[in-house]
Amino acid sequence: MDQPVSCHPATPQQSTPEQTMTAFTAGLWKQNPVFVMVLGMCPTLAITNSVRNAIAMGLATTFVMASANGFISLIRKLVPKQVRIATYILMIATSVTIVDYLVKAISIPVYKALGAFIPLIVSNCLTLERAESYAGRNPIFKSILDGLGMGLGFTFALTCLGTVREVLGAGTFLGFPLFGPNFEPWVLFLLPPGGFITLAMWLLTFTLWRERAAKRKKAREAAEQIAVEAA
Amino acid sequence: MNESLSHIFVDALLINNFVLCVFLGMCSFIGLSGKFSTAWRMGVSVMFVIIVSSILAYGTNILLVRFHAEYLRIITYIVIIASTVQLTEMFIKKNSPSLFRAMGVYLPLITTNCAVLAVPLFQTSRNYNFIQSVVFAIAASGGYTMAIVILSLVRERVELSDVPNLAKGTALTLILAAILSMAFMGFGGMGNGE
Amino acid sequence: MTGNASQMIRLMAAVSLLCGLLIVGTEINTSARIRHNQEAIMRESVAQLLPGIEKQIIYGIQPSGELVILPNVETPGPRFFAGYDASGKFLDVVIEASERGYADVISAMYRYSPATRTITGFQVIDMKETPGLGNKIGSDAGFLENFKQLDATHPIGTVKHGAKKNPWEIDAISGATISSRAVGRMLQKSVAEITPAVQRNLDRIQRGQ
Repeated sequence: MDQPVSCHPATPQQSTPEQTMTAFTAGLWKQNPVFVMVLGMCPTLAITNSVRNAIAMGLATTFVMASANGFISLIRKLVPKQVRIATYILMIATSVTIVDYLVKAISIPVYKALGAFIPLIVSNCLTLERAESYAGRNPIFKSILDGLGMGLGFTFALTCLGTVREVLGAGTFLGFPLFGPNFEPWVLFLLPPGGFITLAMWLLTFTLWRERAAKRKKAREAAEQIAVEAA
Repeated sequence: MNESLSHIFVDALLINNFVLCVFLGMCSFIGLSGKFSTAWRMGVSVMFVIIVSSILAYGTNILLVRFHAEYLRIITYIVIIASTVQLTEMFIKKNSPSLFRAMGVYLPLITTNCAVLAVPLFQTSRNYNFIQSVVFAIAASGGYTMAIVILSLVRERVELSDVPNLAKGTALTLILAAILSMAFMGFGGMGNGE
Repeated sequence: MTGNASQMIRLMAAVSLLCGLLIVGTEINTSARIRHNQEAIMRESVAQLLPGIEKQIIYGIQPSGELVILPNVETPGPRFFAGYDASGKFLDVVIEASERGYADVISAMYRYSPATRTITGFQVIDMKETPGLGNKIGSDAGFLENFKQLDATHPIGTVKHGAKKNPWEIDAISGATISSRAVGRMLQKSVAEITPAVQRNLDRIQRGQ
């Protein structure tokens, strides 16, 4: 009963430059981890009550994803199926421990603001999902790009939420007051319910945009079809 | 902080509910709260894993501190959790195939449930002793179960309502969670007037 | 099967070794910088309460009540900061305090004047209170007025907004009673714990020894 060393499909074919770039850009928009794949919810709701925290968290996660993806891709052919998840988690946990020290060394106020959520990047379903479904099957460079793309897309999503919550909830952006001293901030947005509501609103907005884009594309294709048939 | 057991319990369960106030365990909360049967099964599995890993993590932390290896904390905790989940899965599979069929799919997901990793991390950073840690684990996981079960019941009701297609699914769940979270804010400040 | 098992073990061992090396390497390279950052933040917080401070001495209070000079900020235990200006003259003492507020622990520092036994400054260092409500304890001008001349000879207490009658009382922020009360409690406890040792050893502290 010889278990194959890796149950992944055969080595992928030659990658064109477009394909390689797609590995990076997919995570930014089309497969945005928060708005499309609905992964990584915990930090999205918890760390977005200010833009600074959102960006910091996003970048920390990006670092973890890129480095963990890189490592995992490096040893993907050597890891037997049974210990696959354990090994991936081990490497992600190492990345996260490193990021924990790095953030503490860069800025202690940011470290305190992010709090317990840096170690929790380990259990961010996004990191493990990308590790398993992409880094485990693809070459190193593409895996790192995927990690970067997903991480930056995640950062983008967090920033969207952070902007709404900070502007409405505190009247500031990155700490700079936007409105005069008479502005009465909508404090709800800084509190937990505000997190849920903001995410719901952004999700609705993105879904609406994507549906409209898909409808327009279909209409365009139908028009082209008619034009071709008429010719 | 020298907190009384009842204070730890009420705080983790209601005032700072793990799901609705601290935002832990979100992915499973949003994804698996569609049906009551799914929700309570997930809740119970999570409770079991949290309590067991919390106890193991407490013991492991003592060793880590003795060997001045605090930097290994994250890794050892996640290994404990992954192992607990694995062992639980094997145990259920062997002893109750029917239970495994009903619940088995959700068990591997518990490893990536941030609530499960958060409990040992919080109990370590707050320097809880053994009894405090166990009480904290029970209350935190109980809070998770309570939140996911309540949400599943609400969602089952809402299934029968007329909701615009665009909002069905995740967006609606989030809005319902927002309302639930606002309700839980009412618990704030309980037991704080010393 | 055996071949596979030993291969697995070798791989896990190699991976664990690599991970361990990476972590330890990072820790070694960042710990100095982290310590530096923490000390810088402490220094800044103390300087905000003691303008004009050029030198600080961290005194630790031993269980026997004796004072001992601490080498760095990390040593735990009851302690306080003594500040001196450029000419070596003793300014005042800064003490840390913390207490559980509404959401989580509130950490603060306050300036204590041993000559008059009053608190003459207060600063919140860290808090997770409700934005717009509880977290006003850090910024509300009316609330901070309480700490310009707070009498520490009587146990400090927090009273309802507007009901302050005695110089050892703190006027709470209306709508943020719990956070305000936490501040009162932390100051009362801290004063009881630290100031007796300050007063007993005032001579030594003023000389900066």
